[in-house]
Amino acid sequence: MCRILISAVVFFLTVFFSGCAGRNVPIENLTIPLVIGIDLDDNNNLIFLESSPVFNPDAKENNEIYKLEAKSIRESRKYFDALATGEITAAKIQVLLIGKKILEHENWFPILDTVYRNPNFSINTKVVMVDGSVEEVIFHTPQSKPQTGVFLIDAVNYNVKRTRNVDSTIHDFHRQMYEKGITPAIARVLKKGKNLKLAGIALLNEKGKYVDTLGIEESSMLLLFQDKKNEELTLSLPIQKLADEEGIFHKNEISMTINSSKTKIKTDYDDGKFRFSFKIYMMINIVERLFPEKSIKEDELKKLIEQELTSRFENLIKRFQENKIDPIGLGIRARAFEYKHYKKVEDYWPEAFAEADVDISVKVEINTLGAIK
Amino acid sequence: MRAEKNKITWWQYVFLIHGVQLGVGVFTLPRVVAEKSGTDGWIPIIIYWFLSTIASFFIIEVMKKYPDGTIVDLLEHYFGKWVGKAAMILFTIYFGLLTTVIYAREALFIQFWVLPGGQLVVIALLLAIPSFLIVRKNIVVLGRYSQLVFFFSVWMLLAYIIIMMNGQWLHLLPVLKEGWGPILKTVKTVALPFFGFEILIFIYPYLQNKEKAFLGAVTANTITMMVYLIVTIAAFVLLSPDELTVYQEPTIMMLKVLEFRFIERLEIPLFSLYLFTISTTVLPFMFLTVFCTSRLFGTQNHSRFVVFFLLFEVLYIIFFQPTFEKNTMIHQIAKKWGIAIAFALPLLLWGILLFQRSSTRGTF
Repeated sequence: MCRILISAVVFFLTVFFSGCAGRNVPIENLTIPLVIGIDLDDNNNLIFLESSPVFNPDAKENNEIYKLEAKSIRESRKYFDALATGEITAAKIQVLLIGKKILEHENWFPILDTVYRNPNFSINTKVVMVDGSVEEVIFHTPQSKPQTGVFLIDAVNYNVKRTRNVDSTIHDFHRQMYEKGITPAIARVLKKGKNLKLAGIALLNEKGKYVDTLGIEESSMLLLFQDKKNEELTLSLPIQKLADEEGIFHKNEISMTINSSKTKIKTDYDDGKFRFSFKIYMMINIVERLFPEKSIKEDELKKLIEQELTSRFENLIKRFQENKIDPIGLGIRARAFEYKHYKKVEDYWPEAFAEADVDISVKVEINTLGAIK
Repeated sequence: MRAEKNKITWWQYVFLIHGVQLGVGVFTLPRVVAEKSGTDGWIPIIIYWFLSTIASFFIIEVMKKYPDGTIVDLLEHYFGKWVGKAAMILFTIYFGLLTTVIYAREALFIQFWVLPGGQLVVIALLLAIPSFLIVRKNIVVLGRYSQLVFFFSVWMLLAYIIIMMNGQWLHLLPVLKEGWGPILKTVKTVALPFFGFEILIFIYPYLQNKEKAFLGAVTANTITMMVYLIVTIAAFVLLSPDELTVYQEPTIMMLKVLEFRFIERLEIPLFSLYLFTISTTVLPFMFLTVFCTSRLFGTQNHSRFVVFFLLFEVLYIIFFQPTFEKNTMIHQIAKKWGIAIAFALPLLLWGILLFQRSSTRGTF
């Protein structure tokens, strides 16, 4: 008797009161944006863009792209709903494109509030800066490539794997914005001619304003600073000592893959300044060299590579300090090891970092010179 | 109430206590401890563990004086019938309050994280059915249930261990950033995450082998501490100390970061599974509430009271419309009672009984 009663109640409740009543939408009727973009137009109005795949077999285009003006992301949804074929869901957004025009302002970060507040959003969305207009990137429909969203996410992921770009998920971006001891670094994309190009890293200051760009090679070096070498890393450099006579074929060029690397950082404080000593150790394989073997001995080659790398690392640090940014996150180390001194400068850490002394020593060990002499 | 056949094994006893301790509190725990003592917030957890172990010791010492009865029988035995009755009413209110708070909170969490379109009442009604099926049985069934739930949900900690392995451990340094001051403040003001061991005063008489009672309480407290430490430290190494306190429920949020090739948005399945763990908090409390009520009315059969109580819960949700804020407010009240029942009462009784014994000895 009791059992029948209970099963009746269960049946009644699950059928008539299920939580998603009326929300079980078939996938054809859903609009699932893979890319959303935020930008400013010429009159400094916020514009929002979204691009979503179309699952309907009757549709000729396989991409649905909309652009509109709105005040916030959540507000934009109702206008997108009015345009798109079905209900819009934020759960599968892969890439968030932010126009450079927005990043030229300070304190734009609150626009992203809903992404963190609303649990429907995925927080592994990649944040990518568009150097140029977001519209051009999002409306870009190449013949030979997959949809822009898929292309972008793949491009970011593969570059992360090869230690050429930061894995700037929206969650990580939140951390970098809030953490006082680091300034954000996000991937940067631009449209060059007919192609989209993932071009290194955009560096922002602590208020989220764009300050500098790192090329692909420099991006790898930033990751080496952070000791974040991923699956593969290749560096190419010229050996300065060997003059490049003709200059067409770059005969002093050498390329190496980095087998393993280890970055040790020592943190000190004296004379009112922070001091960071980097010891970067690398085990390398030479994979390409355009100059003959006899022109340089192995020992000397090692030294020259060390010198070249050291000066590159030093230049990079100098640039960070000039721009008053700390994308490496040395503030986190300062907090961990020199808490008392860090606490005093916490709120203007990038300035304190700009005055810090940074020593770099690179130690290279050549594992193999390759299959030919 | 003499408990002859309804005996629970040692492991059931351990998991019953642990199950009651580990509940909805863990969602907010990393934030709550970090608000007061930053990334040193894991230290208060160890202090709590120590305190609750001491308190369990005193409870068991007191209960040994009357090993075959619950605290109510003990009070009746030593202080008379009316003290027992009064205590029973107080315990009913306390456990009822706690059940109501956690029951509503569970429904609120489900609504926010899993079923944003669902109505609170419907969720509460759906929760009521399995609750009824288990609570109308006896303590042995609850013990078995807690043990089962522990073993099929403990693997969820793996997610946090994975997060820990990829985290930034420098966040934890330096240890004792601002000295002991903030840590002691945390201990003083923050919710006691080890609450729940006070059910000892009711389940002790049901334990088969009472010699290992204290060892069992220590084991339960230690398991709870390990879970809390893993979750808290995972939150500290994943999130920057400057950002951690922004998140309401860092424990759930953290799961969103994990992504595997075959599954995204891990927080939804894992949270849904975690509901079982929450139920091991609510159900024993609910059981104790109806257990006290039925004894107050002098009946042995409590299943009628379960129906009444669940009806009351649903009505409460309909008329009171709980929100996170209101819920936290009531929780604060329940917490004060909890301190009294878990810490002050056993110590007091222990003192009194010690005094009584020595004074009776004196008369000889």
